[in-house]
Amino acid sequence: LCFNRETPGGPGHGTDVSGIIPYPTHLHSLPNGLKIVLMPMPGNGLVAYWTIVRTGSREEYEEGRTGFAHFFEHMMFRGTERYPSELYQRILTEIGADANAYTTDDLTAYHVSTAGEDLQRVIELESDRFRHLAYSPQDFETEAGAVYGEYRMSRMDPLFTLHEAIVENAFDVHPYGHTTMGYEADIAAMPGLYAYSRAFFARYYRPDNAILLIAGEIEPGRVLELVDRHYAAWQPGYVPPPVPAEPPQRGERRIDVEYDGRTLPTAWVAYKIDAFDPSNVRRVAADLLADLAFGPTSEAYRRLVLDEQAVEYLDAGASANRDPGLLEVQARIKEPAQIDRVLGVLDETVERYRSAPPDEGRLGAPKSRLKYEFLMGFETPDHAAQRLARHLAIGGGLDGLEALYAAYERVTPDDVQAAAAAYLAAERRTVGVLRGRA
Amino acid sequence: MTTRSPAPADSLPDVLLPVPAEPTVAFSVSFGAGSRHDPPGKEGLAYLAGLMLAEAGTKHRRYEEILEALYPLASDYGVRIDKERTTLTGRTHRDNVDRYVPLFTEAYLAPAYDARDFERLKSDAINEIENTLRYASDEELGKAALHAFVFEGTSYAHPPEGTASGLRSVTLDDVREFHRVHFTAENVVIGLGGGFDDALARRLTATKQALPAAASTVERGAGETTGSRDAARPARLAAASDSPIAPRPIRRNEVLLLDKPGADASISFGFPIGVRRGEPDFYALAIAVSWLGEHRNQASHLFQVIREIRGLNYGDYAYIEAFPEGGERTMPPVNVPRCQQLFEVWIRTLPNAHAHFALRAAVRELERLGDAGLRREDFELTRAFLEKYALHFAETTARRLGYAIDDRYYGREQEGHLERFRRMMRTLTLEDVNTAIARHLRGQSLKIAMVTGAAEDLKESLASGAPSPIEYATPKPRHVLDEDREIERYAVPVARDAIRIMRADQAFER
Repeated sequence: LCFNRETPGGPGHGTDVSGIIPYPTHLHSLPNGLKIVLMPMPGNGLVAYWTIVRTGSREEYEEGRTGFAHFFEHMMFRGTERYPSELYQRILTEIGADANAYTTDDLTAYHVSTAGEDLQRVIELESDRFRHLAYSPQDFETEAGAVYGEYRMSRMDPLFTLHEAIVENAFDVHPYGHTTMGYEADIAAMPGLYAYSRAFFARYYRPDNAILLIAGEIEPGRVLELVDRHYAAWQPGYVPPPVPAEPPQRGERRIDVEYDGRTLPTAWVAYKIDAFDPSNVRRVAADLLADLAFGPTSEAYRRLVLDEQAVEYLDAGASANRDPGLLEVQARIKEPAQIDRVLGVLDETVERYRSAPPDEGRLGAPKSRLKYEFLMGFETPDHAAQRLARHLAIGGGLDGLEALYAAYERVTPDDVQAAAAAYLAAERRTVGVLRGRA
Repeated sequence: MTTRSPAPADSLPDVLLPVPAEPTVAFSVSFGAGSRHDPPGKEGLAYLAGLMLAEAGTKHRRYEEILEALYPLASDYGVRIDKERTTLTGRTHRDNVDRYVPLFTEAYLAPAYDARDFERLKSDAINEIENTLRYASDEELGKAALHAFVFEGTSYAHPPEGTASGLRSVTLDDVREFHRVHFTAENVVIGLGGGFDDALARRLTATKQALPAAASTVERGAGETTGSRDAARPARLAAASDSPIAPRPIRRNEVLLLDKPGADASISFGFPIGVRRGEPDFYALAIAVSWLGEHRNQASHLFQVIREIRGLNYGDYAYIEAFPEGGERTMPPVNVPRCQQLFEVWIRTLPNAHAHFALRAAVRELERLGDAGLRREDFELTRAFLEKYALHFAETTARRLGYAIDDRYYGREQEGHLERFRRMMRTLTLEDVNTAIARHLRGQSLKIAMVTGAAEDLKESLASGAPSPIEYATPKPRHVLDEDREIERYAVPVARDAIRIMRADQAFER
């Protein structure tokens, strides 16, 4: 066994639960760069086994390759020589596992929830497909049809249409400018990209670009032995992609989006913000800012949703991304005639936060909310893993997460104002309004 | 973890699932009234009555004050309004129980009936029908249309959200009356799960006594009436006293096409089945239907035939119980118990040109299952799968609480459904399963609902019964193409006068 221990407390010696994460965590890495996070916790006999690949649609920097990370996620279920997809599925069926995967901008996560007694088989299966994935060109082409079907379902949703247009206009060169689903033309062309898919696997599906997260009723020492046995021979060789940096935005962008159906009009305002970084006070404060200004206890919410009832739904959030992302505000508006007035209220709100700090007394509530929202997310091993996956993918470990929650506690009213002043500037934003057929 | 008996009835909630080490507490208050109790012409009353508990002010606080108070706790409460029941659920961290409980309990004990809240919720609900259901997801629209088609003429026909015209006619007084009649001490089940203490259990129970007593005679909607019940008895759920839902028998294949210009095809088909949780046939069918089309499971048969081998769409599933919001959930919902269920197949969105072929493929598999039964090998594999997979049905305490409350509806207090489910997986035989298939499943006399942008073309194709070959973008193996020749000619006979076309923008208007 050869593990690099990254935090105090090896197998069998739980680390102290002194930070935000309510269970002990054990962090290790193999010589090939694979990181392993173990979190023993109650699980009613279930274990969550997550493989997080730190690649998502962010890595789709090449022309005509949008949607490929998501498509590739589908291919990961097409089997290996040792476990062809029928056998892989059969074993998962025999053990009654709940297995699936998802792809986002910064990561692709493969998750299996299984009875603890079957963990060893899951480790065998999962390590095998990450090391030896093999599929025929025919399977590849067939799966492209299923992905197209997924796109067909998604495009029915007016918010998908609007989101697609917002990111496309907000970003000039960075791949965050397309959705994880990808452009329809690229999806249609996927069946011809078999050779590219093999290159994609070779570039990104490497131990030095992956993290195993295993939570539930586990014996860390035993699990580490199994992981070492099955993953040590996985060859490193991650090739970091030349993701182009987005140049600063220099002026407001406004778009009108048509939806081919009926919908309430929806306004979506997206401001450029910094990449996720818990040491960046301004970026940390942006999380509180979004909630204070547009959350369910904000003045804008009270006015637009509850009193005037001009808006059915108002929400805002700052994305946690590896590269600079967006703070987005969405409002579903009841009457088309009210669109400009609602946008006016959103602007007034922004101006207020840019020009003066919020009352000190208002900061306690969002801080408490962030904390309890996090803590209540550890209900099951699978929920816990879901809660940690994005942070692991962005930061490569859990230190950033602990630092983030500590940083939330330190945010001052001036920090919130500074974040508003820096980020919520008109020249940094894209304003989209979606309208349906009359 | 154990389920404690709810005795004595006046001191403890009806369902207790203590998990002392758990840092959160789950709450559930479930009333035996739902959309089937909507009076004709006021479809949507139960929905608004439920929302007026969960998303409106109380006599003690305006709604914005409630939001303000819940916000730092990162907790809220929500309501599921279904055909039979209205269930208010919530969850909070143990640190915050004292701040949370007054908010949660006031929601059902002291609704304020604020006109502004009502106006907001009513407008949102109408939008839900007119925009979201009709336009935002063709798959959900197709499934709702199938239910309306099968249960036409019964109080199960309209979606729990109601209809657009029904919602428009609901008044705040209607909501008050619905609460007075249905949300009573004798018609409620209260449940608590997770890290609570006895004091909290008693506190919740006390709220039951603060609910209004049962009205002497209750109009149960759609001509159904129940007599008075003894309020001192522990809550027995209303299903037994509600008259059965009797959908019209289906004697031939019938099709409802929802014409939505520009749409791809989203297909649901099925028929009513007379099996419910607790009955041996339910578990036997659960095995058969899991093999045929376990929800979101790649190993299941329809998924293999339509998606995995042919890549026609994203997934294809089969059900013996209602499964709302199937696109958003991987595990079955709780708090949607029903006295009458459907067997239902869901073929996810695909191009219109493939719709007839995919329908034929699914019906063919269903008929083959009906004709030949399940093979021993598939039976053994599927029951082994389900015995363990059932662990995932209720991974959280909140979901276990939901199952336990549903058990009360189905009269499964002694051996809960999940426990019985796993036991039955060990004891059922292949013969049991194949007998249940023969008794309950069929591949013809179906009701078929499709959302499509090519309604006239599909009508012609279905009525003529002409072959419906499909083209693949890429080559397929010989055996697949050979099977395709059979599928494209497979008989799903539909008489021209058994095909109805309805504009999607008129769906659920009344």
